[in-house]
Amino acid sequence: MKIIVATLLLIGLLMPLTVSGQNKIFPYKYSMDDLPNGLRVVTIPTDYPNIVALYIVVNTGSRNEIEAGRSGFAHLFEHLMFRGTERYPAERYSNLLKRAGADTNAYTSDDRTVYHIVFSKEDLEQMLMLEADRFQNLKVPEEDFKTETRAVLGEYNKNASNPISKLYETLRDTAFDKHTYEHTTMGFLRDVENMPTMYDYSLEFFRRYYRPEYTTIVVTGDVKHEQVLPLVKKYWGTWTRGTYAPKIPAEPEQTAERKAHVDWPSPTLPWVAVAYKSPAFSTENKDKVSLDLIGSLGFSPTSDLYQKLVIREQKVDVLFYDSDDHIDPYLVVAAARVKDPKDIEYVRNEILKTFDSFKNTKVSKEKLEAVKSNIKYSFALSLDNSEAIAANVAPYIALTRTPDSINKLFDLYTAVTPEEIQQMAGKYLTDKRRTIVTLAHKERSQDAAK
Amino acid sequence: MQQSSKRLTVVAIGLSIIMFTSAIAPAQTGKVSSNMATVLLPSTSPLISIRLLFNTGAASDPKGKEGVAALTAAMISDGGTQRMTYAQIVEAMFPMATRFNSQVDKEMTAFYGTTHADNLNKYYDLIKDMVLNPGWREDDFNRLREDAINYLKVNLRHNNDEELGKEALYNEIYEGHPYGHNNAGTVESLQKLTLEDLKKFYRDNYTMANLVVGLAGGYPKGFEEKLKADFAARLAAGSPSQVKLSSPAKIEGLQMTVIDKDAPGTAISLGFPIEITRAHPDWPALLVVQSYFGQHRSSNSYLYQRLRQIRGLNYGDYAYIEYFPRGMFQFHPDPNIARRHQIFQIWIRPVEPKNGLFSLRAAMYELDKLVRNGMSKEDFEATREFLTKFVNLLTKDQDSQLGYALDSRYYGIPAFTDYVRERLSKLTLDDVNRAIKTYLQARDVQAVVVTTDGEAFKKAALSGEPSPISYTSPPGAAILEEDKLIERFKLNFNPKQVRVVPVESVFQS
Repeated sequence: MKIIVATLLLIGLLMPLTVSGQNKIFPYKYSMDDLPNGLRVVTIPTDYPNIVALYIVVNTGSRNEIEAGRSGFAHLFEHLMFRGTERYPAERYSNLLKRAGADTNAYTSDDRTVYHIVFSKEDLEQMLMLEADRFQNLKVPEEDFKTETRAVLGEYNKNASNPISKLYETLRDTAFDKHTYEHTTMGFLRDVENMPTMYDYSLEFFRRYYRPEYTTIVVTGDVKHEQVLPLVKKYWGTWTRGTYAPKIPAEPEQTAERKAHVDWPSPTLPWVAVAYKSPAFSTENKDKVSLDLIGSLGFSPTSDLYQKLVIREQKVDVLFYDSDDHIDPYLVVAAARVKDPKDIEYVRNEILKTFDSFKNTKVSKEKLEAVKSNIKYSFALSLDNSEAIAANVAPYIALTRTPDSINKLFDLYTAVTPEEIQQMAGKYLTDKRRTIVTLAHKERSQDAAK
Repeated sequence: MQQSSKRLTVVAIGLSIIMFTSAIAPAQTGKVSSNMATVLLPSTSPLISIRLLFNTGAASDPKGKEGVAALTAAMISDGGTQRMTYAQIVEAMFPMATRFNSQVDKEMTAFYGTTHADNLNKYYDLIKDMVLNPGWREDDFNRLREDAINYLKVNLRHNNDEELGKEALYNEIYEGHPYGHNNAGTVESLQKLTLEDLKKFYRDNYTMANLVVGLAGGYPKGFEEKLKADFAARLAAGSPSQVKLSSPAKIEGLQMTVIDKDAPGTAISLGFPIEITRAHPDWPALLVVQSYFGQHRSSNSYLYQRLRQIRGLNYGDYAYIEYFPRGMFQFHPDPNIARRHQIFQIWIRPVEPKNGLFSLRAAMYELDKLVRNGMSKEDFEATREFLTKFVNLLTKDQDSQLGYALDSRYYGIPAFTDYVRERLSKLTLDDVNRAIKTYLQARDVQAVVVTTDGEAFKKAALSGEPSPISYTSPPGAAILEEDKLIERFKLNFNPKQVRVVPVESVFQS
């Protein structure tokens, strides 16, 4: 399952934050242990009764798809993991989960594949055992493999009816030349179509990445670390460490602005996306967090631009900013859905002017504090059940393998000043780091092509 | 979950050192005074959830004014007040990181939001003003009306073939019935609506008689009384505005509406009315059947196994006994879409067009088999065990607990999770198989198919010719044998009720 864009946006925008330096925005105590094979275990007890959430975070995603013609494999693998083992074939696995009333699924993004399952606390041992089995003993016959590749094509086609998917696909393909972020997690269509012939490669993919040193087990809810750790040692302790380390190609410095346009085959409202190459996630320097804050200041519903385009002029009905954290340098994206194709150029220029304004003028301290308060309470409000707590932690596990990075990150947010916002805008929001993609119904495309 | 009185405490670090219970006391249902119904779930959580439920909705839209209920609610949750513009409200809510949402279904209009206790007073002042003193501004009206029209014309018709099929199915089944139009209205009716229509709807329906207030979390003493006094002082007493509902028109044979559009896949929804809601004693039995046959987004269910897992036809295949909008975006249904009339529904996610007719046949074949054979003892036990635990997940956070508690009040049943678990424990296989025979059938069914080249689909469907599946990787011999039955499975079409419509006509009038 692919994370829908809206979720990515939330991850980008709802960054937690602490206002008062000493107080931690992620308030939960957790315990963390490493097994000798490299597997990491994090337990976060919560006060919500009866339910336990188990999140297994594998540090592999579409970023790891380094060979040509192999895009989409991390996501395909997420599907294959539900195909069973010798001891627990898919049907038996599925029946056991059914009996347990467990809610299970998985998703894949650029930097991670996350398997999650929520269940009643009495089933903890069984769930850790079942998951350990499929992570170590997955067995997918070639016929099943081929069938699953068709389900993935079905998912591609399902997503393809949404213009946003195509907009992002084109944006990434245009903005990146070497780095694997050039393709979406779904992969290039030609690669997805070719998947049925790639059975051997799928085995290789599993051997490389489904290894303890790539994996972190996060358990939240009505549970204690003293219960979790012995069970993890029992079922996961014999898993063998791997040897593979991918060489992710570095993206060369972009030297000029890039543009692309998508002709959409059926009637739809046009889209404009303006993106800049952004720095990687960091808990040490303020570059990326400054760009996150710029997004909230410039494009959230309280921003001048939103008020102008969406509320007053009513030329745009959706305006968003995406600054999802990534292991390597990626993109920050502002995008708008335009009501009338005639306004595409106008809306694009308004977005550009907004980005420029951060370089030319210093934001008010008051506005910056409002954004920080928003981020703080967004996070507080999002931690309203055990599963949400695990889900909020998972991206940081993929980035740094520890929940500790959450509070470090929010200390950074707190420390950002209006001067630094201006400085980072000058550094990153430059013409030559920019990529612009438009999308419009084919018959109307001449308006966008200007 | 809701009924536990055990108090658990947690020590949080730093600012949030708050001793709070997550074990919420039993829902207290009652009336603060003669005119305000309440559902209360007090706890010491730092989060406070508020739900204001008006027992009115799209079924109360007057003829020709379809969409007025939804647009009225949108003017309240997404428009200004007499004192503040919408922009000012958004700005005031921004540092609190919250908002006030609305949701309109046939018989319920819910306004809801959650705030941190630090911000309760500020938040309450804003939302009170939004509900009691709407601004009725022309610019809000134009913007929200255009949003509603775009939702129908762009989002449903062109950006989401699955939701299009599911929503169109309801329009077909309830044609001529108060449920017979999309909650958002129709393109034509929306174009004709005026601010005066909205104000009238507000006066007639936003009354104390229709209001139920839900509160959950650590709201302070006296808050409930203050809210009551504020609302009673401003809203008319009114009388309950429940619309009279007749039975939907009888479906005869297999009726099919093919929505013709340029689409990469073929999306199929089918169903028929069932006279069963949560209030009915047989509902838990039917819940077991639905879960076994097509639990939403679960890879364990029967349909999913047969169509997706074994045959790789698509991304998923599910069944429902209650309205479940936005299913492609969420795993659990939203609360406060309770209805007096429901349908049984099968949702086949987009398949490759060449397998479209095979997939329709497969769905009907499996439904027919379910009706003829019922469930086995083993499947019954497994599904019951699943549901007994799964219901806990539906109310895992505070706002869902509150929403479900309001729905239970509407249906006149005890707290949802306890009710379902208690009924499941007493259920027998005979109860379930009797419910299948009584409420399900595979004769009189309405289908909606969203596909490219609709005329060709119709022609192939009515021809009765076999429609073999096309595989990339053929499954085992037993499945290929079964495929031969499915590809020839007789579809009992009612030719008078098989039609192809262009997508631009859907939700038009």
